[in-house]
Amino acid sequence: MCKIISKYSKTGYLKYISHLDVLRFIQRSIKRAGINAKYSEGFNPHMKTSFGFPLSLGTESMGEYFEVELDEKIEPEVFIYKMNAVMPKEMQILKASISNNPDSIMKRCRYAQYLINIETTLDVDELNNYFKEMLNEGVVFSRQRKNRRNKLVSKEINTKEMIKYLKAEKTKENNIRIEALFITGERGSMRVDELLKLIEDRDFTIDYYTILKVDALDKEMKPLL
Amino acid sequence: MIDVKKLDRELLKVEKPARYVGSELNSLVKDKDIDIRFAFAFPDTYEVGMSHTGMHILYHLMNSMENVWCERVFAPWTDMEEIMRKNNIPLYGLESKDELTAFDFVGFTLQYEMSYTNVLNMLDLGGIPIKSKDRGDSMPLVIAGGPCTYNPEPLYEVIDLFTIGEAEELLPELLNLYSEEKQKGYNKLRFLEKAAQLEGVYVPQFYEEVYKDDGTIKERKVLNKNAKEIITKRIIKDFNNSYYPEKSILPYIDVVHDRVVLELFRGCTRGCRFCQAGMVYRPVREKEASTLVEQAESLIESTGHTEISLTSLSSGDYSCLPGLTLKLLEKYENENVNISLPSLRLDSMTFDIIERLQEVRKSGLTFAPEAGTQRMRDVINKNLTEEQILGPVETAFNLGWSTVKLYFMIGLPEETMEDVLGIKELAYKVKDKFFQRPKEKIKGNLKINVSASCFVPKPFTPFQWVAQNNMDEFYHKAKSLQKEIRDKKISFSYHEPKLSYLEAVFARGDRRLSKALIKAWEKGCRFDGWQDMFDFDKWMEAFEETGVEPDFFALRERELTEVLAWDFINIGVNKEYLIEEYKKALSLTTTDDCRLQCTNCGINYKLLGGACPHVQNNK
Repeated sequence: MCKIISKYSKTGYLKYISHLDVLRFIQRSIKRAGINAKYSEGFNPHMKTSFGFPLSLGTESMGEYFEVELDEKIEPEVFIYKMNAVMPKEMQILKASISNNPDSIMKRCRYAQYLINIETTLDVDELNNYFKEMLNEGVVFSRQRKNRRNKLVSKEINTKEMIKYLKAEKTKENNIRIEALFITGERGSMRVDELLKLIEDRDFTIDYYTILKVDALDKEMKPLL
Repeated sequence: MIDVKKLDRELLKVEKPARYVGSELNSLVKDKDIDIRFAFAFPDTYEVGMSHTGMHILYHLMNSMENVWCERVFAPWTDMEEIMRKNNIPLYGLESKDELTAFDFVGFTLQYEMSYTNVLNMLDLGGIPIKSKDRGDSMPLVIAGGPCTYNPEPLYEVIDLFTIGEAEELLPELLNLYSEEKQKGYNKLRFLEKAAQLEGVYVPQFYEEVYKDDGTIKERKVLNKNAKEIITKRIIKDFNNSYYPEKSILPYIDVVHDRVVLELFRGCTRGCRFCQAGMVYRPVREKEASTLVEQAESLIESTGHTEISLTSLSSGDYSCLPGLTLKLLEKYENENVNISLPSLRLDSMTFDIIERLQEVRKSGLTFAPEAGTQRMRDVINKNLTEEQILGPVETAFNLGWSTVKLYFMIGLPEETMEDVLGIKELAYKVKDKFFQRPKEKIKGNLKINVSASCFVPKPFTPFQWVAQNNMDEFYHKAKSLQKEIRDKKISFSYHEPKLSYLEAVFARGDRRLSKALIKAWEKGCRFDGWQDMFDFDKWMEAFEETGVEPDFFALRERELTEVLAWDFINIGVNKEYLIEEYKKALSLTTTDDCRLQCTNCGINYKLLGGACPHVQNNK
């Protein structure tokens, strides 16, 4: 009857909940909220939902997305209200609207915007110089992963092709905050832990950090919602 | 509060960090400035503990008290333990992240003997001395309940206070007493003396066990005038109106049992002689169907679960089962909620029900004949004839099932090799039932999974006096079956005899086991119930080094006159009744289900003060 797209948060200790667990939790929330979702046909009916790219474990987010097909017509405001009443404070629906876009969420996500907070004594200017190098000349690193035959294969990646924007600044608490915009896509995305690894490889020491995904942006660099 | 930043830094290094963070829906966070802080401790992993219904009941029960905040704590897996020890992160309550020492109570539930080393390890990780005598007034009280406390003695040095029997009423009494004492200025000894006067409370430090030269128990001495000689278990008389939570904590990660659990009734009338639960949970008390429907409603609403499990010791015996299942089906059929019925004795009547429950999925059906021959089933009083086993099997095949599991025990009292091989015979007869049908009826691929566990004699059963088979006997029996069962359709597996042996040592152990337990833990034993973690050699070293003879507890047949380590607990069932049942077992005489005829076990006049409900011809 209608498809709803929602933006939700995943904060606090919920950053340790894996993508698959989030998926099941949200489906149950829809059930608890008494919203009539559509189910697939067959012996083992599944709720018709679709999600964005998995968020790395340990990353908080204010910009996660899912879509759900419903068997009823519902005002987005009512959807938000009903859902948030049955969800914990660390995971809340921030926005919702009727979705008419035929493209999947994953297909629409082109950029991921992050804020990375680092407790460190490193020099912010030096760091920004390094960031410029990543953006202009490019820094090449290799990513290892297992292929279909369970063999380790490595792939060369150039930061220039994966990072759109990168800037560090000092905060009031004397920490460093990095604003980052990564290119995401179905063929692979840059990960924050890879960036941190590159920073550490240049002998910058990172004592403690937190990562917040701010939002997922479409090709026009606008939030999906 | 623990250093949460330190925790945060390390959590990504462990498997399933969500085990250690709490924050689940329906978990409760209260103001820390509260009268009583209670840590409900489950000595196994998060996934196992979160599947335990008793924990959900008591968690919400205690949190329904205004002056109490109950939190949860589970045994961290070895990877997490390593990180906690290396970084000095003490074990903490999941809700507040406060270390265990900040609590007034640490309350363990003892569900199986093989979790005892985890109890010690959790205390130690929490910075709490493992021995009661080393914990002063500033340390939390360490208490324990659950089925293993029917023989609490192996943990007498560790636990300050045991609750015996059902705790739904006792725990609030205990907490209220604590609150009063705290206002007067808390003193551990004075509190324990007062608590010892509550029915169902056992304070081990107020007693002494004295032994004879032959190693058996001479007597128990009461050392404190406030302590009772006999501890009577607690039961909930009005089970229908007893506390049951409207909400249950919803784990984010996959746990063992992920569903709404309804408790149809407590107790069991069947009287199987090997079964401890069948004796200690007497009398049978049912909930009304309308109560259960209400509980299902609120739990489904608060969790969004897609399965309701109707549990009890023998769910088919619930007097309103057809009515209840139909009502739940009507209600939930169109909401994608399934209803499951574990622990079902299969007969023709129950098939109507399960057929409706499993409308499409004909997964596996489990039968528990427990023994392979009629003679053996008569010994254990599993009142099932071969026809009563094969009949339902045939019905199941005709209805379209093709996978069955058959559960057996080996090492039962009076067992001969013929009885053991009877397991094979029965499995083959099950197979024949499948193929001896008209060709057009045979559908699916037959798979029979036969599994045998090693019998562990338990306290408060008619077999509490018998010797367990030794490990050679177990291996011989299991391997003979393995050799004999040669059929592509039938697979055979057996439970590890070493684990069952150790279980038997602790199930009927006494105070002298305490030092061996502590030694085994010091040697690194934990998660002993997990096959891949269980280190039998370390345990044997621990017994050796502490001069404890484990065979004495597991393999020795006791005289009927011997003082047993758990004799001071009154479960309501007479010892004379257990002796009589034991003698009947030896003479292959069965005892009827006590709903048909009161078998005079004593529970009605010792605990109920009147007739058992649902039992005819009460004596």
